[in-house]
Parts: sequence; structure tokens; C-alpha cells
Amino acid sequence: MADENTPHVQAKFFTKQSQYSIPDTPYSVPAAVGTSELSSLINQILKGSDDSVDAGIEFDFLLDGEFLRVPLDKHLENRGVSSEDIVEIEFVERQPAPKPEDSLLHDDWVSCLQGCKECILSGSYDNTVRIWTTTGAPLLTIPGHSAPVKCVKWLSGDGGPTCRFISGSHDQTILIWEWHREENSVECVHACRGHAGSVDCIAINEERDKFVSGSWDKMLKLWSAAAVAEGDQEEQLEAPTKKQKISKKVQTRVPVLTLSGHTEGISAAEWLSRSEVCTASWDHTLRLWDMEKATQTSQMQGTKVFLDMSYSLLNRQIVTASADRHLRLWDPRTTDGAIVKCTYTSHNGWVSSVSWSPVNQYLFISGSYDTVMKLWDTRSPKAPLYNMSGHEEKILAVDWSIPSLLLSGAADNHLKVFQYNDEKHGT
Amino acid sequence: MSSKSRSKRKPDQFDFVDKGANDSDSSESEESVYSGLEEEPDTSEEDQEQSSNQSDNDSSDNDDDEDITLDDKSGLELSTEQRKELSTASDDELNEINDQRYTGNVKSQNRKQRKQITVKTADRPDEYDYDSSDEEDIRNTVGNIPLEWYREYPHIGYDIEGNRLLKPEKGDQLDEFLSKMDNPNYWRTVTNKMTGQNVVLSKEDLGLIQNLQSSKHPDSMAENYQPWIDFFTHEKMIHPVTNHPQHKRSFIPSKWEKLKVGQMVHALKMGWMKPTKAKTEEEEEENFYMLWKEDEESEITRRYRAHLPAPKMPLPSHAESYNPPPEYLLTKEEEEKWQNMEPEERRMNFLPQKYSSLRLVPAYKRFINEHFERCLDLYLCPRKPKIRMNINPEDLIPKLPKPRDLQPFPTAQAIVYRGHSDIVRTISVDPTGQWLVSGSDDGSVRFWEVSTGRCMKSITMETGSLGNMCIRSVAWNPHPDVSLVAIAMGQTVILVNPGLGDKMVTNNTDNVLHSFSPTEEESTGKKVYADWSSIDTSDKRFENGFRLLLQHPKEVSQVTWHGRGDYFASVMPKGDSMSVLIHQLSRRRSQNPFNKSKGMVQCVLFHPVRPFLFVATQRYVRVYNLLKQELSKKLMTNCKWVSSMAVHSGGDNIIIGSYDCRLSWFDLDVSTKPYQTLRHHKRAVRAVNYHKKYPLFASASDDGTVIVCHGMVYNDLLKNPLIVPVKILKGHAISHDLGVLDCVFHPSQPWCSKAQCERRAVCCLLQNKNGFAQQLTDDRPTKLETLVSVGKTIYKCMSSRLSKAAHTLQANDTPASSVNNCWYRQEYGTCLSDNLGSVSHVTAVNNDVYPKNCLIQQATSTKCISDALSEVDKYGCEAKVVDAMKKLGDSPSSADDLKEAYCRASVTAYECVLSVVKYCGVTEGPRTIEGLTQFSVVRTACGAFLPVTTTASPVNIGPIGDLFPKSFFSSSTNNSQVTNVNAALNSGSCQPPRGAVVCVAGSVVLLCVLLL
Repeated sequence: MADENTPHVQAKFFTKQSQYSIPDTPYSVPAAVGTSELSSLINQILKGSDDSVDAGIEFDFLLDGEFLRVPLDKHLENRGVSSEDIVEIEFVERQPAPKPEDSLLHDDWVSCLQGCKECILSGSYDNTVRIWTTTGAPLLTIPGHSAPVKCVKWLSGDGGPTCRFISGSHDQTILIWEWHREENSVECVHACRGHAGSVDCIAINEERDKFVSGSWDKMLKLWSAAAVAEGDQEEQLEAPTKKQKISKKVQTRVPVLTLSGHTEGISAAEWLSRSEVCTASWDHTLRLWDMEKATQTSQMQGTKVFLDMSYSLLNRQIVTASADRHLRLWDPRTTDGAIVKCTYTSHNGWVSSVSWSPVNQYLFISGSYDTVMKLWDTRSPKAPLYNMSGHEEKILAVDWSIPSLLLSGAADNHLKVFQYNDEKHGT
Repeated sequence: MSSKSRSKRKPDQFDFVDKGANDSDSSESEESVYSGLEEEPDTSEEDQEQSSNQSDNDSSDNDDDEDITLDDKSGLELSTEQRKELSTASDDELNEINDQRYTGNVKSQNRKQRKQITVKTADRPDEYDYDSSDEEDIRNTVGNIPLEWYREYPHIGYDIEGNRLLKPEKGDQLDEFLSKMDNPNYWRTVTNKMTGQNVVLSKEDLGLIQNLQSSKHPDSMAENYQPWIDFFTHEKMIHPVTNHPQHKRSFIPSKWEKLKVGQMVHALKMGWMKPTKAKTEEEEEENFYMLWKEDEESEITRRYRAHLPAPKMPLPSHAESYNPPPEYLLTKEEEEKWQNMEPEERRMNFLPQKYSSLRLVPAYKRFINEHFERCLDLYLCPRKPKIRMNINPEDLIPKLPKPRDLQPFPTAQAIVYRGHSDIVRTISVDPTGQWLVSGSDDGSVRFWEVSTGRCMKSITMETGSLGNMCIRSVAWNPHPDVSLVAIAMGQTVILVNPGLGDKMVTNNTDNVLHSFSPTEEESTGKKVYADWSSIDTSDKRFENGFRLLLQHPKEVSQVTWHGRGDYFASVMPKGDSMSVLIHQLSRRRSQNPFNKSKGMVQCVLFHPVRPFLFVATQRYVRVYNLLKQELSKKLMTNCKWVSSMAVHSGGDNIIIGSYDCRLSWFDLDVSTKPYQTLRHHKRAVRAVNYHKKYPLFASASDDGTVIVCHGMVYNDLLKNPLIVPVKILKGHAISHDLGVLDCVFHPSQPWCSKAQCERRAVCCLLQNKNGFAQQLTDDRPTKLETLVSVGKTIYKCMSSRLSKAAHTLQANDTPASSVNNCWYRQEYGTCLSDNLGSVSHVTAVNNDVYPKNCLIQQATSTKCISDALSEVDKYGCEAKVVDAMKKLGDSPSSADDLKEAYCRASVTAYECVLSVVKYCGVTEGPRTIEGLTQFSVVRTACGAFLPVTTTASPVNIGPIGDLFPKSFFSSSTNNSQVTNVNAALNSGSCQPPRGAVVCVAGSVVLLCVLLL
């Protein structure tokens, strides 16, 4: 295969994907080999063992849980691993490249978005919330807020005839909406009032009966998401535009709980478990709150302003986006907190938003003010898997709620949809 | 054989055994020998031993004298026995000799015996009897001669009687050997050279020899270590050593001393003698002396010691060879050139010449000369060691912490806030840090969301109602419960409620403003400085957020809020006595804190904690106590023109930026002078600011950079603030010579909002570059000022249109000051000359004083001035220029430059001399005299000149009076000055000639025109 003189490395390949399993024998590969050569090698081995396997599969290779991105010998040299021993290399099928699918044009900057099954919800700086189908057809434009919408979340989006969603805005209110799919009409059922600043984030718990909201007024508030809750008051909501009269009767909802502790505005919140909420703030801290005891349980100190945060139920880790170029991986289970497990650096501007994959515990996406969305694997801290460009202005929000779609909203009024096929990866 | 038997017989008895005698001689011969040799010492021992020997013959202590005693006692028996043996053994001849000797011996024996008797008779032994030291050995009388002389003879010498001493018979080698083997005393047998006889050394002799060899006392009996007897002990004894009675002197006072003391007492009484003073400490201290002699050496001797060797002569080169290589020989042209040169200028002081052999080389003619010159050099130019300071330049740099350790601070551009269409002049951040407000020259105020760069709101001012569109200053109310932004635009200050942030706050603000009802006393108050008017809710502008308007009499350049948010101050630089107004929001009242103008106010600031107001004029910052209404401090900024000012949140430190590129840090507790001055910027500093929480401050400059510095203020009063520049923020393109105009820190994050802001400013500038020229031709002179301030580039495009503008100015009858201000902003001298034609044209048209001010501003560039002056000359505004020159002379940057500038502009020749004399002492003048005759401008300057000359002492005077027309002198009418000069002239030894004089003071040429 190569010259006799070139240095070789003994490598043993294994995989966790059973369909690609190969015999456990060491192979001697040239030290300067790259991923493409290794990939073809694996393909040859697979072909030899089983003819049914398609030959053209691209693989990625992991050494000690880190992706091979440079030639093998350099990788070993950088990690200080001896090339004399047998190197154990895990191979996984390469993540397929996301394909740009659609671009949904808004009237103004897209500040927030969330997908759910076949619908996409987006909030914009023109004070409206919009509902789109995943194929890009606009379903509804909902005026309701009197100021730019900062956050939207599906409360219940599964195929029923009525879906509910929540939106928070600069006008300091959170509105709970009901969308009748078949009639394609929307109705504001609750107006949650209590914040004294723009509502920047909303997080709904797993049971979907409660949600928390974080605001620029430094408060974290817990609300009931139930259809009927105690303390609801009827209220006449003024329709800001006369064209579209929405529901006449809107119930005002007050917070169940208000937690203070942050010294600056709260930029992101996530439920970690039934009772635990994590918040990220401009005061450089991540705080964990116990919602049942209504106390703050612990605190993780960062060095920069947190702009966004995402929590993965699959690997129980938090990834944060800061007002610098880095993404940071945290583990909330460690007690002493302030340990950043990993830093992902590739962006050139502030990272405005981040979102974990709902199905793959290693993958997450991030959007930055440098107009690029990046797909990351936690095992590859130096380089992202894919860069997704297309926006002309800073990205304000990204979302990966639908496993096959990567969504990004930016200040160029566009919401970009990227198709991502992860079917081969067994869920 | 006989000898053998004999030796056997008495080995112990005889220590001294005459070998020869034993062998061959009779006992007589043996005796005779010893009798002669040891006659005297024997005597003492004999009598001692005679008794002992009688009892103990065998004692080994006995001497050879024992033989004699033996002879005496039992000699008969022995001698007979010996004789028998001898007779049998020896031949006849020997017998004869023996006989003779024997008789001799007998005689001596007799004598001995006589002596013995005498010794015995004396009771005390005479010690001299023992001593034989002065006696020579008399057994052989030959004396001290080499005994080799007797080698040939059978005898060895003569005895005292003259008989021959025969050599004892020596045995052969065999005998020698046998005796060595047999004789136990052989080892201690030595030969007496004088007698040739063998002597056996006794035990004492051996001991003596051994003692001598081991360097001991020769006498074995002598004791080396005798006990020490301390006769005169150091201890004090109670008894006298001697028993002598004490002398009388010891207890009777001295009569002589009494006499002497009496004399001295008398002398003291009479005052002839004075008691010596007790030594003071100082005198004792003077006792110190130089330990090292060299210290008090004279300079000369020291120079001898620190000798410096004379520099070595250079070695001769090839050219000096008698047979130089051909390339060293000079050609004819070169030789001629060499000849024509001055001797000092010649590269070498000889001509290379070629000789075929060394013999032909003539004597060197200049030998004596050159040696003399060298000696002169060495003698007249003393050599001195030069001490070179070895200072590592890095040691002089103070140790500063690394910027990396001082994080956080802004490092990179994060967001650009795009939207303005013209330069952004001012920005401000709301107290929560969520919003940013910016004011631009496009007449709009925009509100931005800080985190995203989103423009949330834009208010465009209506030009029709308010006149000027430029937003000069915006300031967000620092109180978190008030939602108001003060905007300065033209002569108006507008208070705007942006409607952003907490709705409750905005509503409350509106309610409070709405519920205001003026009390009567205020409405009938005294003088109204600013006209307050509130915007009605029905007004269209109310929708935009306009709440209150304050109409000012003059243009407002700055607004700033007090920390509580109720008071705010506005600055009108041209307001003279009303340049600073303080407004109270809650009572809608304006006050004028200052009655008198202290100069052009640049900016004002409220102290963050205490009731102080900082007022920055062009060169000073004054701190006023508002409660006591007094000036509490005046800070000297040491800069030419203050542009901006910021107060640390603690209130004890302020920074000041100036148009001459400096940033000065003042510690108010310490001094009124700058604690530190940073000159990092290359162009004018436009804005400075502190961070509220982090120890950071930043300065924005026209060079397009923002420099962020770490400025840590310690609570410890003894510790000086630590100032470290940490970051230069670039990325802002300079356009129209305007760089960064304002910078603001985010209230809670280490972000600097100016970088963003300035980028926006650039974009706007680029867009509107072409717009300026058009606007220049507008008919609004007030607008012109703003436009002019944009900078050099504008000037260039302006120069073609300035004449037109000037006409406009004239037509509008604009106050000249507004145009003056245009020039203040001009900071670049080179363009002035380009424009000056137009300027002077303006001057000519308006007959006003612009060049004066503009020239003052240009004092840094003299070339420009001279160009400008020559240009101005054409337009006949000399007088004004002279005025300008006078002012310029007040701060000459360089005397030569100044002179140059003056001389080139011939119109001001006289002024040149005047200023140069005044300030520098440059010794040039002839050109200026000619100049004097040509220009009537001298007349105007004469009055100013006179007082100057009176201060100098005139030394020499010469007539130049003819140069001046009579009419000129009559115009100088200041009599007091003239008399001063006259007095000065009289005091000096000078004779006033007719007409006029020239005074020469020192080396400085003074031109003085006097009326006599």
C-alpha cells in the first residue's frame, strides 16, 4: 500500500454501530493517514466481510473520544500518544451534511423560533408571531404584542386540532395562545403579567403544566401553563392593530412564584428535571433553582455574559453561548460548579444562540453574530462538523426541535431551514 | 700476639688504649705520651681517684690517668712485666727510643707529683686548675701546620724538649681488619692527628658527642628544665622587696614645686596666665584625619596618578613607503589639487614619492615641525577620562503588570449599530445597560438595543421649527426610575421619554411631568435664563416622546445629568456669562451659577457623590462647590485646549482629554497638576470616559483609535492610581479627519460602546462625503461652523467656495466670532496656506480679524505662517497680521523658526526684531533695517517697542536716523517711555546722535527708534 520506509501505526478499529462491525484485528496503517484513507480502508474491510454493505460510506474516526481531524501521526503527536502501541480507533458513520432547504422571509428581524412536528413558530421584531409549515408555507401572522417578540415556545404542538404556544416580548407580557389548526385561527387565552422588563426566555417543563420565564428585570418567574389556573382574571386585551381582532376575552395570569437572585437580566432558562431550573444571565452566572423549595441551589460562575443556553436530556449537559467567540460545555451535576468541561471555538463574533440535538447526544448547533450557523460534535472541540452560511446579518436564534430540521433566524429577516438526515444514526 | 693478649687482659681498665703502644711500644712510651698531654687536668682527678682507685681498680670511670696511678702503685710490677714483653718483642732501636722517653716520662711524673702535693695542701680547689682552655696542646710542638708535611718522616713532630715524636707504628690492612674483628672498642677508637696515636673514646665522651649531635646541652649533667623561681613577681606583695627605709623625699613636699605653684597662682591672679579651656566635643571631633593620603592630594598630583597615555601615532601606511605601490602615487592633477588645498584640509600631509632605493631617500624636512606639533597637541589638549554611564534603558521603564492580567477589558468589535446617515456625534447608555441612544448630524436620535444592535426607535428632528438639525449632545437620565433623555440640538434642549424599558417607569415619568403645576413665585421669578415649554399630549411630537423643550439664548453644546436625575446642566460656549445653566427638572427652573465668564466653557460635569460641579474651560478645570457657591479648586491641565472630561465614580479622580492629543489624569486629593499625562494618541482626543464598575477608562481620538486603559484607584489613600494602557481599539476608518467622536462604557459590562458607535460614524461620513461641499454654499452661517469643524478635507473643498461663503457672511452680517470658531477646529497647518488666499479675501471683504485667530492656532507650523503672511500681504491687512504676530510671539516654539517666518514676510521685519529680541536673543538684524525703511508698519509697532528697549542697557549707538522720515518720529508721542529710554541712554556711555539711534545690547542687536 505504501513504501516500506514510511512509518506505520498499528491500529485496531471498532464501532458501536452494529451494522458496521468488523473483526477485532489490528491493522498496520501509514502514520500520515487521513480520515478519507481510513474510511476507504474500513469500506474495503466491510466489503470483504459482507457483500451486501454499500461501499461508499464515509466514516469519521474517534481516538479517545476525540475526532480525528488532522493526519493520524499529528493527532497522536498533539495528544502525546506513543505511535508504538496499538491505537484503538472508533469509527462512526460520518454525519451527513445539512442541506439548505428553505428560507422564510419575514417583515423584520427574526428574534426567536421553535419547530414542532410540521410547524415552525417564529417571533419577530415587528411585534408579530408567525406560524409556518416545515415546507415553508406561511400559516398565520399573529399580531398581539405591542413590542418586539423575544421568545416563543410550543406548549403543545402534537398533532391535535388545537395547539398551544407561548410568546414573550419586550412589552413585558407573556401571551399563551391557542391555535385551532383546522380553522387556522388563533386565540390568545392568557396574558401573563408581572415582569418589569422585556421577557427574554421561556422554558416549559416536561409535564407541560408549568413554565418559567426570565426577564431583563432580573427576575425568574414560574407560571402555570394549565388551561385554567388559580388567580386568572379576565381582561380585555387591546388589539394593537385594528385589522385583526383577536380574542376579546383574555385572562390575565399572575406568576406562581418569583425568584430573585440574578444581578443582571436573565437571558436563558432550562428545566433540568421536574423541579430544577437552570438560568443563564448577563451577570456572568449560571444558577440552579429548586422550584419546589423556591430556592437557589447552586451557582456556576462564568467569565462572560451568557447570551443563551441549552440543556440536553440525552447527556444531561449544558452548553452556553457567551458574549465572546466561545461555546462552553458545563455539567450541572458537578457540585463545585465552575468547571467548564470543554470550550468550542470557531465563531468570529458573539454566539447568540445554541441548541442541542433532540436525538443525538453529541450534536448541537450554534448561531453567531458572524452570520454563520455551525453544527458541532462535542467530541470535536477545535472544529465544527459543518458551517451553515447563508444569512447576511447576525443570527439571533437557532433551533433544533425537529430532529430533521435545523432552523436559524437572523437580522436579515430570514428564517433559514436546513434539512438534516440523521436517520442512519439509530435513535 | 702480645697486643692481643694485652687487650684481653685489661679491656675495662683502660679507656684510652694506645694501640700502637699495645702492639709494639712499651708501657713507658704510653705513659710518656699521656703525661705530657694531660698533665694539668690529671691533678684534680688524681687526688680524688687515688683513694678510690686504691679500693676499686676496676671502675670503668677511670681516665687514662689511671695508668699513672696504676703506675704509681703497682707500676713496678707492671712495668717490669711490660718490659719483659717489650724487650722480647721490640728491636734495639726502639728500645733506645723507649728508654729516652721513659726517662722523660719519669721527669714529668715527678713534676706532677709535686703539684699534687700543692693541690692537696690547699683547702679550696683553685678553679683555674681545671681550666685548660687557653693552653695549647703541647705534646707536639710543631704548631698548627698540615701534618702531611711529616708524611715522609718517621716522626710526626717534636715534643716540648725538642725530641722527635715518632709516628706510632701502623699495622697493615690485615691488622686493621683483625682489630676491627677482635677489638670491641674499635668502634670508639679515633686517631689523634697530632700524635698519630689511637684514642679510645670514653663513655662520657660518647655521651658528649651524642648530646652535641642532638643539639642538647653538651654536659649531660646540666639540667635543661630547671624549676622557675619567680623572684620579682607581678603580684603585689604586702611586704617590701627590700628592707630599705623610705627616702625622705617621698614624704616631704617639694619645696621647688611649691615655689613654682606659687608663681603660677600669682600669674593667674594677675591675669598673665589663662587657664586652658576644657575641650569641647567639636574640637575633639576635629581630631579626625584623613586615613588615606590620596584624599587630600591636590588636583595636580592626582592627575599624575591617573595618568592617561598619549594617543598612539598611526602606523605608517603604504603611501608613506619610500617605494609605494603605483596606485598610491598621485597623478599630476591630484598633485595640483593637493597643492591648492589648504594644509588643514589635506587628506594626508605629504606627497607619496617613489625612490628606487632606500639610499636615495632624503632627510625628512618636516620632522622637527611635526614633532613640535605633536608635542603641542599633547601639551595643550589635556586628556581626560570620560566616564560613561552604563544604564540599561529597560531599567528606567517602570514595571507594569501585563495587560493579560488586567482583564476584563474590551478587545474586539462585537456589534455595529447601523442606521445613521451622517456622522454620529454623541452617544449615551441607559442606566440598566439595555439601551443606547445616539445623536447624529443627520438630525436624528436613535435608540438601540445594546445586545443585538437593533434600532428600536428613531426620532427625526424637524428642521423647520428648531433651526439646526445637528444633535450636539445626548444624555440618558442616570436615575433608574426616570425614563428621560436630554438632547441638545441647536439652541434647544429637548427632554425625550423614549418609552423603552419598564413600562411602569415610562408611565410614571410621563405622569410626573404631566402633573407639574408651576408655583406662582417661580412663574414670577427673576430673570428667565431658559424658556421651558412642555409638549402637549395632542402635539404630534408627543408621540415621538418629546416631553419638554428648553429654549436657550445660544447654541447648546453639551447636556449632562446630575447623578440623582433631577438636575441637569447645559453648556453654551458662546453664552459668555451664561455659558453654564443648571436646570431643575422637578421645578422646571433654570439657574445661572456663574455671573462672569471665565473663558470658553468646553464641558461641565456633576460630581457623582458630592455637590460639586466641574467646569472645563480651554485650559483649566474649575471645581465649584454648589452648596457653598464657591470655587473649591482650579486644575491646571497643561494642555492647549480641553475637549472632554470624565469623573471617576469615586469622585476623586478625573481625566481630561485635549485637542493636543493628551489625556491627563488628575488626582484631586493630591494636586491640581496632572498626576499622569498619556500621549498615546496621534490626533486630538475627542472623548474620554470611565467605566462605572471596572477599573477602566477609555479615550477616543481623531486618529481613529480608542485606547482603553486600566485605571485602578485604590481605597488606600497612600497608593497612587495604577494606570496601564491595555488595548488600542482600531477598526475605525478616518474620514474627513474625524475619528472617534464619543465613547461610552456599558454600565455593567466591560464593553466600550464607542467602538461600535464610531464605526457607524464612519459609515455615515463616507456616505455623505460629497454632501458637504453642497451644504457649504448654504445660506446659513451657523451651519457653516459645524461643517467647517469637520476638518482639513473639508477645508480643501471649502477653499474654492470660501470666498462665496465670505460674501454670504457679509451679506448676513454674521458676528465674526462664529467664523473664528471655525478656525479653532482647524488643526492642520498645511492646508491653511492653501486656503489663506481665500481667507485674506474674506478679511479684505469683511475687514475683520479672522487671520489673527487662525494664525494663533497655527503657531506650531511656521512655514505655513510665512507662506500665509506673504499671501496676506497682497491684501493689505498688514496691521491685523502684526497683531497676530505679537500674540504668536508670546509662545514661539522655536526662535529660529520664528525669525525665519518673520523675515520671509518682509512686511513684519520690524516686528521680527522686536519679538526675537524679546524672547530669544537672536543676533540678526541687517535685513530688517532695510525692511524698516520700506514699510510704514514700523510706526504702529514703535509704541510697543519702546518699553522693551528701556529694560536693556544700551552699549553702543550708531546713527541710522536718516533712514526715517521726520514725520514718523512725531507720531511717537509716549513721553514717559521716551524719557525712560533717555535715562537709559544717559546712564550708558553713549552719545545720542542726531535723529535716531540704534541700541546694541550685549550680543543682541536691538533696533530702537527714538525721538530726541
